[in-house]
Amino acid sequence: MTRDSSASHLGPDELDAWLAGVRVPVLLRHVEECSACLELVRAEEALVGALAALPLPAPRPGFADRVMASVRVPDPFAIRAIQAAQRRLFASRKSVAIAAGLALVLLGSMAASALWTLANRDILVAAGNWLAGEAGRWAWVGLRGAALNLIEQPWFSGFRSLIDAPGRLAVASAAMSLMYLSGVLALRRLLAGPTQRVAHANG
Amino acid sequence: MAPRLGLAARSDQDIVALARAGEEGAYRELIRRYERPLFSLLYRMVRDRELAEDLAQETFIKALNAIESYRPEFKFSSWIFKIANNAAIDHLRRRELDTLSLDGSPHAETPEAVEATALQIGDRQESPLDAVEARELGGQIEQAIAQLRPEYRSCILLRHVEGRAYEEIAEILNLPLGTVKTYIHRARNELRQALAHLRQ
Repeated sequence: MTRDSSASHLGPDELDAWLAGVRVPVLLRHVEECSACLELVRAEEALVGALAALPLPAPRPGFADRVMASVRVPDPFAIRAIQAAQRRLFASRKSVAIAAGLALVLLGSMAASALWTLANRDILVAAGNWLAGEAGRWAWVGLRGAALNLIEQPWFSGFRSLIDAPGRLAVASAAMSLMYLSGVLALRRLLAGPTQRVAHANG
Repeated sequence: MAPRLGLAARSDQDIVALARAGEEGAYRELIRRYERPLFSLLYRMVRDRELAEDLAQETFIKALNAIESYRPEFKFSSWIFKIANNAAIDHLRRRELDTLSLDGSPHAETPEAVEATALQIGDRQESPLDAVEARELGGQIEQAIAQLRPEYRSCILLRHVEGRAYEEIAEILNLPLGTVKTYIHRARNELRQALAHLRQ
């Protein structure tokens, strides 16, 4: 920094340097001789000191917990597994070549499959229809088998006579509904949290 | 959860690397390091304790959830201060809060809420007399800072309260270095004039 000590007052950069503790002899001489600059320097020093002494207020306790409740911390095991896989993949030229080859085979087979599909839509539609028909037939056979099996059960005739009379059917339905409702209420009571704080629960 | 032994001695970049590896303690260490500086900057910018805390929380959540996008060649402090400052400036643009509320949040409705949200000044002093003097001086300074334009306020707080370098402030505020220097000089001039009566 070159300056004539009798030159004009301190510039912004010189003032910054002064506040940063830099004492250039020519500046020192100027400040000693110039009452305006001396007053400015003192005022700036006092201001900067007062600003630096301002307290740093802290947020309420539990701030970190409140922040962490909304932060997604990545799973370290998943990260390590990915990193290990990457390391293995890029360990040598041979492994890179194998991975590239596999990727190429995969992409090639996907492209070939898409092309074949586009060229043979009729075959695919016919195959789809045949599969749907067969599936329907087998489902029907299964359903009939299950129904026949049910009818052959020894308790079925008793059950049939029970639901034949509307009055008995209504009573049986009401009893079953009542049992279901009681079960739901019991489950709700079991799953509800305690209404009173439990001593020592918060550690 | 207490920070893991040794985390406090590590650099920000190391802590960020641990956070990226999924270590929760590293996230908490970053919060521990920056909660006070960020909160006090935001508090002095928006002058409302609850709002400042919301903005600080928003800043940390945004930064920590995007820690993968942080580029280690830059300072972590610059990155997180930039997010905080943008949050404060966005808020000030949305709601022009230009009146000082040293006596508590403008949203506080009860005397308890007013007291709880009031800016605490001079709480590091030793004697009661010192505390009173510092509270008065601190109050005048806070009042003068509050009258500055938001850009000047960010600059002066980052430079002289948070102790950041000019270059870092330029990076945080996305401003040319010369503009930052000019803003700080103008802010100091305005503060000197506002506080001139104290020197009489």
